Amino acid sequence: MTRKKILGSHVKRLMSGVADHGRQHLTEVETDLIQTGLLLEEAIEKLSFNFMAIHKAVEAEQATITQLLAGGEISEEQRTQLAALQGQVGGYVNAAITSLQFQDMTSQLLDRTLKRVTGLREFLSTMSAHGAEMLPDSDNEEIVDLLGKVSMALAVQSLELRSVLRKAVSQQHLESGDIELF
Amino acid sequence: MAKTILAVDDSSSLRQMVAFSLKAAGYQVVEAVDGQDGLDKAKQQTVDLVLTDQNMPRMDGLQLIKLLRELPAYQKTPILMLTTESSDEMKSKGRAAGANGWLVKPFDPQRLIEVVKKVIG
Repeated sequence: MTRKKILGSHVKRLMSGVADHGRQHLTEVETDLIQTGLLLEEAIEKLSFNFMAIHKAVEAEQATITQLLAGGEISEEQRTQLAALQGQVGGYVNAAITSLQFQDMTSQLLDRTLKRVTGLREFLSTMSAHGAEMLPDSDNEEIVDLLGKVSMALAVQSLELRSVLRKAVSQQHLESGDIELF
Repeated sequence: MAKTILAVDDSSSLRQMVAFSLKAAGYQVVEAVDGQDGLDKAKQQTVDLVLTDQNMPRMDGLQLIKLLRELPAYQKTPILMLTTESSDEMKSKGRAAGANGWLVKPFDPQRLIEVVKKVIG
């Protein structure tokens, strides 16, 4: 293989490595952000619903409570409704607690995204640092040698980055999760 | 006397919600911010059940379970994982480490209490 072809093949390998690495990580960033958006949207929707439902349930019994506070008598139906209020509100509070856990999940997804962005920045810094070593009058062998080193450094960084980015949150919804007793 | 549960999670909001739910059902709750803190608290006070997250700084849930199982006081204490992790691979690791159950987040307070009652009464 001629020197020119060797140089060309190193440049091609480096460019394709950078493109693959960038594409993979940006795709994951996109996926994690979409997932974060879905969880946030559902959380807000469910939290709004449950807080409004609590307000309505309490408001519906307000007349009865006022009547009782004024020393008045209440009907059997009102008594039953009042007794059911705690259970009703409890149900809404439980649903709100399930939805409030969006924070735990989205913070893990955002942390993963942040690590990935930081890793990509380091990846680009490595390229920039090695690029600075490449002098305009370098001969082909020096350039081939340098390109080989850059490719190797980037491959190592890419592997290191992947190893710290295992996905721990796969939930797309805020439904309560599976329970398994061993 | 109320039974005591050690809740280990690095998310303060999650710990708050777990504690709120369990206290409402009559349990005492000791909170720990990560696996290491959980281990320290478990050594200070013997608890009836440990409920732990998996991914935490300093020490993760699996490591905590392994170290707890080495302590004579915790060889038979029920330990449940409460985590976002849901893969079979992680569940197998949890089981091998000594976990007695796996609950995937988000949790429903009612279901959590049912499971805890089933395990420690």
